[in-house]
Amino acid sequence: MSTPFEKPQIIAHVQKSLNYTVFDSKWIPCSAKFVCLGNYARGTGVMQIYEVEHGEVKLVKEIEKAKPIKCGTFGASSLQQRHIATGDFDGNLNIWNLEVPDVSVYSVKAHKEIVNSIDGVGGLGIGDGAPEIVTGSRDGTVKVWDPRQKDSPVANMEPGEGEAKRDCWTVAFGHAFNDQDRCVCAGYDNGDIKLFDLRNMSLRWETNIKNGVCHVEFDRKDINMNKLVATSLEGKFHVFDMRTQHPTKGFDSVSEKAHKSTIWQVRHLPQNRDIFMTAGGAGNLHLWKYEYPAQRIKKDSDEVDMGVAGTVNLLQNVTLSTQPIASLDWSPDKQGLCVCSAFDQSVRVLIVTKLNRV
Amino acid sequence: MNAEIVSSLLTQEVPAGAAAAVPVDHLDYGYIEKCTDVKHLGKILRVLRSGDEGIYPHLIEFCESRLERLDPRSRALRKDNPPATAACLSGDEWSQITDELKKWERDAKMSETELKQQSLFHDLENDNVPPVRGSSCSITLKQNAVSNGQKKTSQKKVLPRNYIEWDQYDVDRECDKIDGNVTKKDPPAIINSRYLKIRSKMNTTALTEQEKVLVANREKVKGNEAFKANDYEEAVVYYSRSLSVVPTVAGYNNRAQSEINLQHWHNALNDCQKALEMEPGNMKALLRRATVLKQQGNYQMAAEDLRSVLQAEPQNITATKLLVEVDKKLNQCQPEKERKSKKIVIQEVENEQGEDQRACPVEPSEAVGGESAAAAPAERGDMGNAQKKPHGRGGEGVPSPHTDHNSHGGHWRNRGGNAEKYKVNQQDSASDKGLWNGAQGSGRSDSKEARPAGEDGSNLDAPCGALPPPLARLKNEGNLFFKNGQFADALDKYSQAITGFTDSGMDSPEDLCVLYSNRAACYLKDGNSSECIQDCTRSLELQPFSLKPLLRRAMAYETMERYRQAYVDYKTVLQIDISVQAAHDSVNRITRLLIEQDGEQWREKLPEIPLVPLSAQQHRREEPPSAEVLQARAEKAKHHAARKAEVCFNSLKQEGNEFVKKGQFQEAVRTYSECLKLKPEECPIYTNRALCFLKLDMFAEAKQDCDSALRLEPANKKAFYRRALAHKGLKDYLACSSDLQEVLQQDPNVAEAEKELEEVTLLLRQSLAQGSPSNPRRTVPITEVEGTEEEDWQAAEPDRTKAAETETEEPSTTSTSTPAPPENQCRGGGGGRGEEEAITINLQPSNSYEFNQSLNAARAQSNLPACAELLSCVPPETLPVYLSNQLDGHTVSFIMQALDTQLLQKDPNLVYQHLTHLHTADRFSVVVMLLEKSERGQMTRLFDRLSAVDSDTFSKNDVQNLANKYI
Repeated sequence: MSTPFEKPQIIAHVQKSLNYTVFDSKWIPCSAKFVCLGNYARGTGVMQIYEVEHGEVKLVKEIEKAKPIKCGTFGASSLQQRHIATGDFDGNLNIWNLEVPDVSVYSVKAHKEIVNSIDGVGGLGIGDGAPEIVTGSRDGTVKVWDPRQKDSPVANMEPGEGEAKRDCWTVAFGHAFNDQDRCVCAGYDNGDIKLFDLRNMSLRWETNIKNGVCHVEFDRKDINMNKLVATSLEGKFHVFDMRTQHPTKGFDSVSEKAHKSTIWQVRHLPQNRDIFMTAGGAGNLHLWKYEYPAQRIKKDSDEVDMGVAGTVNLLQNVTLSTQPIASLDWSPDKQGLCVCSAFDQSVRVLIVTKLNRV
Repeated sequence: MNAEIVSSLLTQEVPAGAAAAVPVDHLDYGYIEKCTDVKHLGKILRVLRSGDEGIYPHLIEFCESRLERLDPRSRALRKDNPPATAACLSGDEWSQITDELKKWERDAKMSETELKQQSLFHDLENDNVPPVRGSSCSITLKQNAVSNGQKKTSQKKVLPRNYIEWDQYDVDRECDKIDGNVTKKDPPAIINSRYLKIRSKMNTTALTEQEKVLVANREKVKGNEAFKANDYEEAVVYYSRSLSVVPTVAGYNNRAQSEINLQHWHNALNDCQKALEMEPGNMKALLRRATVLKQQGNYQMAAEDLRSVLQAEPQNITATKLLVEVDKKLNQCQPEKERKSKKIVIQEVENEQGEDQRACPVEPSEAVGGESAAAAPAERGDMGNAQKKPHGRGGEGVPSPHTDHNSHGGHWRNRGGNAEKYKVNQQDSASDKGLWNGAQGSGRSDSKEARPAGEDGSNLDAPCGALPPPLARLKNEGNLFFKNGQFADALDKYSQAITGFTDSGMDSPEDLCVLYSNRAACYLKDGNSSECIQDCTRSLELQPFSLKPLLRRAMAYETMERYRQAYVDYKTVLQIDISVQAAHDSVNRITRLLIEQDGEQWREKLPEIPLVPLSAQQHRREEPPSAEVLQARAEKAKHHAARKAEVCFNSLKQEGNEFVKKGQFQEAVRTYSECLKLKPEECPIYTNRALCFLKLDMFAEAKQDCDSALRLEPANKKAFYRRALAHKGLKDYLACSSDLQEVLQQDPNVAEAEKELEEVTLLLRQSLAQGSPSNPRRTVPITEVEGTEEEDWQAAEPDRTKAAETETEEPSTTSTSTPAPPENQCRGGGGGRGEEEAITINLQPSNSYEFNQSLNAARAQSNLPACAELLSCVPPETLPVYLSNQLDGHTVSFIMQALDTQLLQKDPNLVYQHLTHLHTADRFSVVVMLLEKSERGQMTRLFDRLSAVDSDTFSKNDVQNLANKYI
């Protein structure tokens, strides 16, 4: 373990109060700017672009939209374009060019109800293969979109006839290490986690963590899937080792009870997949490091391979606010820089130090 | 009891329950000290923190420390921390963080504008994106039916269950289910790492330069992560991807390390080589190459590499350790070699492999131990950069008090070691020693003795003379402490001297400068880089462009990872004195880091490099590099070239050995031949190539190689053995047996040789028996023996004939044209040895070998009738087949002669038939081209005569056509 002096420190670099509820915040790749997405009290949506400059954030642009915006991603856009894909309260998926934000580049009525979560892959040089966007909604469906195809999704994961529709809270891409392979992981309010294989168009694995799944994320989208972190409503998170899938037991996992409240988000450091930060309902952030076990595969009693999960170590934790931190995003360009937004209507830029030494 | 009471009871009980678990008397120093139950301590801590039992800050602290000692990862220890602020960090750290952030902001802005400009011109359509996924596919949330039923039920049963559910529980059915589960054969586990289908090259056609760098970097990061997770194969793939986009030294280095961990020595060596080509003298690459060379058993060169590492970084622990091991190995090797020469090593390649294996149980554990240091958790941060840290220290270690004394007169000590300078230093240290001895007496009186010593030192260090004696003493004491590694004490002395100096109000900036500079060295040693920088800056204010403070400041900057400042300082140093090798190395290193950090435009972000006035430069440039130095450099360069060739040679050899192991002898021969181009005097290569030739049944070449080997090493058993095999292949059993006997004489324990000898003796006897006149016409046994090796013999034929031509010094070779000892005539009998000779010619050949044997025998005796008989016995269609590729000019003319003189009269049709088929034989056209004039004449005669013959099977025209093909 590192000595206290060597421990990473989480520094609140800038704090900015906003006059709207902010749901999501995202760094614009290759820039010192980030976007905040949210909801004005008057019921309209808002996108604001801020730039970090001389220890403060400067509002660059503000764009008002008809519907409150819940979530956004740059994941499916090239570095040259850097278009943001957003999901709103009405179930629309829009892609915006932030330079010319008046008209959307792509727009589709994706879901009947609010789009809870969105993720993209195939852009920014992350993940081989086609650019694709996945959305998860309260209407119980998970849909995969290709910005080159109008109006209809390229894949649709929905409950069968007569099945109860569960609220899908979170979606994430992973396993996109070549042109064909790709997986979508979705988490539902009843604790279901489902892993869809987009190559075979099948449900590859499912499990239940007995508690609403607030957020899932693969440690890397563009590698042979390695780890998956799923956070839950009651303060626990699970780290699944995704390398070895046992035919009945599935993926081995380790869980940790970290927060006393909901873990709203988990984000892996773009520069080191084994470090991730969780954001909690009590306004706190926990920085974790995953340690691999000595052997990642073992034989069970029937001589079938099964994975072995490692351990997680807490590196640092801080309390920023009394309100839940609803979004968190690491800067893809500057190691240790991250932006988080909380329900106290403020957005914060944080610096995490000494990440290269842990 | 109504609900209200129940609830009130409950609410009361909850805190009471929590407290009840921890009796009040447990909240006590004594109890906590003895308690080892981590969980209970956690509870105690919680109670204490809650303040329910009162607030005891000290007890809480005590409890925390106790708990931390027992279980540092206990959850109870986790506290809510406020975010860190500037106050939590030292001023330096904070300024560094903000500096970096500001820099990043600027960079980000720049790169963004760049990106926007590029995107204006860049074609947005990207061809290499896969097409849109097939039309909207729907995946139901259920898994396939069988497993689904079970899964669903188990998932739905989230605790707590109610009683109704238990009522519905069907025990029998559940039992069946369990049994069924057991009997059901599960499909095997899916292991994702087993089917890596990652392309090792990336398509970068649509990317801009900026993106390429980003992508390459990202792939490298992925490689690093995989490396840290011990997925070395995956790491190699990702490094390869990164290298396919933008080749970098770091990429090659990292891939080399992964290959080392995978024990792919050859690839690792190649990567190290490439890294060193891109950046000669890269420490990591050298170190890794040394590791590989050591594994490959090339201790000599490994040691050389390690020495060059240690020359640059004398404190590199890994290198030192490795060198010790390698030296040990080298020493072991010497006797082993002698032993080896006693024990015959016949199949060198295989044996070397064996050697490797023998070494393996020791080596990998060592190597892995050594290398896993890089992967060990403590040093995981940056793979392989573990060496960076000791390296940094190593650099710091270099400024020693010796150089401090003559900070004005002398150069920075060259890495090569400059002799004259050293002399001064030695004197200096001698004076130091005197002083030390005095000081050890630890008395005031001794200090008097010490003082002259100190003054003596000031003679060497002119400006020191301006110091008043007490200060000079302080300074010298400081130097002494520094020399002895007591940096804190030295620091103290220097500080005293500095305060004394300022108090005295003297005006001697040079001295103060030296004092500051020396104190800076102490700080640097103590790792207090910021203080070091301060002192250096002060020193430089007093004396701009003095070398040492600049260098120290550069080092301090470097350790603080403020590379830009470090770069500027190093550059300034180089302006002052171009010969400072340390600065050169550091500049190279930092340049790389800066490029990594800032991208291509890193230069633009540098602070201005101050221009050094000419006076300062000249001051340093008094001594141009002496002739000796130049000579040394030239030698070094030569040495480097030689080493490069050596490495190249070794890698080729290794490659050749690999090929042999894989059975690709053709390739092996090619590589060995290249090896020999580089070093024509390597005996093992000859023997190895001979082995390949043997395997390829090219016996003559094999023999030649063995001869060359024996010329180099006249007692090489391997060469003898292989030549024996070659002789056997060439059917020279006598030579073969003599070679084998030679082998056995050198080492009687070679079972293979003995076996061969037995076999060959048998063959020899048989051939003798065959050659003897009393034998019946057809000798069956010889074909029996040869039957097993038929293909060998057939392939051997050309060599045999060639050998007959080339090896004149070996009269014993089986050549029908040379007068050979009688026992050696295995076929056809001796030339002109009685009338029975023709009988030994096998006139009923059943295969190419027999035919050729007979033909050669006949030719050797110039026995035209025998040849004619042979030809009449052979169906004309099979003639080309029998001749296979054995045709030569003499044979052709001999056959022509036979046809002409013997057969033409008897059976012109047969002659015609033979002629129509003969020209289809292999090599015919070539052979005909090389025919002599007389032979040509003979051929024309034959055709003339043939055309003169009247026949109903062929016309004159046919003969004419045929003749055209021959002449």
